[in-house]
Amino acid sequence: MWMTRRNLTRVVRMPSIIIPMAIMPLFFVVAFTGSFSGITEVPGFPTRQVINWVAAYALIQGASFAGLGAAGSMATDLDDGFIDRLLLSPIRRSSILVAPLLYTAIRALIPITIVMVASAMSGAAMPGGVLGVTLAYVAGVGGGVVIGAFGLAVVLRMNDIRAMSVVQTLAFVVMFPSIGQVPLVLLSGWMHWVARINPVTNILRMARQGFLGPVTWADTWPGLLALAIGTVVFGAWAGYELERRNP
Amino acid sequence: MTAAVGLPSTFDGSRHRFRVTLEQGFALAKRSVLSTWRSPAAWVPGLVLPLMIAAVYSAQFAMATQLPQFPPVDSFLQYMLPASVLQSIAFGAGNAGTDLATDIENGFFDRLMASPVARQSVLVGRIMGAAVFSGFESLVLVLVFLAFGAPVKGGVGGVIAIIFIAGLLAIAVGGFGVAVALRTGSPEATQSMFPLTFVFLFMSSAFFPTELMNGWYQQVAQSNFIIDPTRRLVIYGWSWTDLLQAVAVTLAVAAVSLSWSYRMYLRRLEVK
Amino acid sequence: MTTHPISAHGLERSFGTLVAVDGIDLEVEEGEIFGFLGPNGAGKSTTVRMLVTLLKPTGGTASVAGYDVVEQPNMVRRSIGVALQDAAIDPLMTGNELLKLQAILHGLGSREATRRSGELLERVGLTKAGNRRVGTYSGGMRRRLDLALALIHNPSVLFLDEPTTGLDPTSRLSMWEEVRALNKEGTTVFLTTQYLEEADQLAGRIAIIDGGRIVRQGDPAVLKDEVGDPTLRIEIGDSIMLDTAKAVLTTFGEWRPARDGRLAIGLEGGAKRMADVVRSLDAQGVPVAHIELDTPSLDDVFSDATGRRLEGAMVDDEES
Repeated sequence: MWMTRRNLTRVVRMPSIIIPMAIMPLFFVVAFTGSFSGITEVPGFPTRQVINWVAAYALIQGASFAGLGAAGSMATDLDDGFIDRLLLSPIRRSSILVAPLLYTAIRALIPITIVMVASAMSGAAMPGGVLGVTLAYVAGVGGGVVIGAFGLAVVLRMNDIRAMSVVQTLAFVVMFPSIGQVPLVLLSGWMHWVARINPVTNILRMARQGFLGPVTWADTWPGLLALAIGTVVFGAWAGYELERRNP
Repeated sequence: MTAAVGLPSTFDGSRHRFRVTLEQGFALAKRSVLSTWRSPAAWVPGLVLPLMIAAVYSAQFAMATQLPQFPPVDSFLQYMLPASVLQSIAFGAGNAGTDLATDIENGFFDRLMASPVARQSVLVGRIMGAAVFSGFESLVLVLVFLAFGAPVKGGVGGVIAIIFIAGLLAIAVGGFGVAVALRTGSPEATQSMFPLTFVFLFMSSAFFPTELMNGWYQQVAQSNFIIDPTRRLVIYGWSWTDLLQAVAVTLAVAAVSLSWSYRMYLRRLEVK
Repeated sequence: MTTHPISAHGLERSFGTLVAVDGIDLEVEEGEIFGFLGPNGAGKSTTVRMLVTLLKPTGGTASVAGYDVVEQPNMVRRSIGVALQDAAIDPLMTGNELLKLQAILHGLGSREATRRSGELLERVGLTKAGNRRVGTYSGGMRRRLDLALALIHNPSVLFLDEPTTGLDPTSRLSMWEEVRALNKEGTTVFLTTQYLEEADQLAGRIAIIDGGRIVRQGDPAVLKDEVGDPTLRIEIGDSIMLDTAKAVLTTFGEWRPARDGRLAIGLEGGAKRMADVVRSLDAQGVPVAHIELDTPSLDDVFSDATGRRLEGAMVDDEES
């Protein structure tokens, strides 16, 4: 627990971390709605208000920065030997990974809340009610944790601060070809195929449903499954990499 | 080696000072191009990411080109060409700043300053290096776009014009990066300026036409006087007016950024 | 104007309210190796940066190779070779490329630059490594390349800022050889170091800087003699007897600074009094765990001047 607190303390003491964390999600909301507002005029687009569509995308992207932050801290900690010192101490191994992920989950609440408030102010609807809002939060926090776990694994594997650019690029590459900005029905060719099998699509669908209509189980369970699988698989990989450090 | 010689023969004034300055600027530009080329991590993203965004967006927004307000384009890919070139410049010109900041941090800058190199050459070499590299990257991008069937209606002249504008823009943007580097001396701080260029890109017609925007956002996006004329060269055809507009605006931005970076340069030389 | 290769009068530099260099005077003679000693943060680097025109003094004057560092910085830069701390070298370039670049920066034509680069690579023993990227060089190779870069234009005055910090003993010895050879050819060398042995080995004259002021200056041998009596260091086996031991020792000479748990005095009369000391301690029942007698070293010169030890204060951090 104290490790999570250590990370949180670091955030509070460093405005340079908190400002991009607040600004970036705001920027996503403004840029996605401003630049692509006309996209809703395409016949077949499910909503007239583009914010209803892109809020979920902005939210996942904002939350993913929290996950990247956890991986970044891990890279620094590895670099200055802090992790090796922890490995030599009698604390539980698992907490070396659980703590930063817990911290990611808490930290993700900030960008998610910012996106939710900014969306509401730009006229987003929420027919899904409290349940819709809750699922948006779950999707955001979960997405942040999955990216965080993936980032931890890559950083532990590469053992190098440069791992961060790899993590960033891959996170970007996975999130991009999805239904983030355009619904599946309007996608064709390879993009339709990639977006359909991309698990990010499931997570987005879960986060987005409340903005478009009532919450349904059919739009929820694939997202939850994707998050659960992502967390378990990447968490296990990170655990394996951590074990490998100390024979 | 002879004992305590005065000045080596090269300083007897036989070689023209202007020529020496030029040679020095050229040598420094060459060095900055070489070191960029040798660290692929610095330039590969500048090619790959714009191409990836172009590929994804042109697939995602293909149907948007059917909207009546959308400018007459062959494909969304064609629409994206100037945006991709600009993104690549944002990356490349950012490098000019971070590389200079690294030089300052590790002391290479001091080595230059302790040599009798003409002071301007250091700045000029760094920024020209970025311009040359950006021009090269733009050429590669345009060729890839052509290969994937996104024609430049302005023809060969249009392609040359785009590369020329790209080089100028790299100078303009590089000037800001260099100014921040000189001001802070920190590669991290310089690097953190990078997302700002993306804000500028998004708040323009780079990814979606302004005709389909509304409100204040549309007004902001319409005041980008570089990307619109450049795109007109791509989707309509050759026009001197468009070329001159893009060049003039870029030059104006360059004038601001270069004079700022020169001020920061003098400040670093004075105080430090 | 003086004919000294390097001279400074009342040279001063402050950063805001912090006075880094507080009015120093230096005269370096033609063809000598001048050692500039001091702990980290004493003002060594600041002084060097002023002399090589990287930093403007806030007071006083200095001239190098006969040119004023403020009025004629470009003439100074043409006359000096500079190898600054940490051998700042772009790791992505090859040794050969860096040498050519440096040559062109000093105004040599490109043919001349190629010839000179080859010559210097050979001189510092890097001919084979010349076309490899500097990133693959060892610490010693980097320093040697750094030295070659500083020599590209045949400078009459060479500034070496901590040229062997962080090097292994073998590389250090070969660097010393090179510096001696250069000096023999007539180059005046201004060498800063935090290693006393380095100054002892190389320098004909030294200056010790502390707190921005020069506290000693001159021939190392003379400075050592001036410190006077050799230092006697004793560690006693039982701390209860500390006061007794102090009472005994105080009769043999003046107290000198010592590390924790030890006592040190300047032993009046030198080595022949050792036996007396031991006998007296024994008579009082003081158990001696360790005893040693040191004839004055540069460290003693330093501690005599400042009341502190230099070697103990050594850290590998950069001087700020």
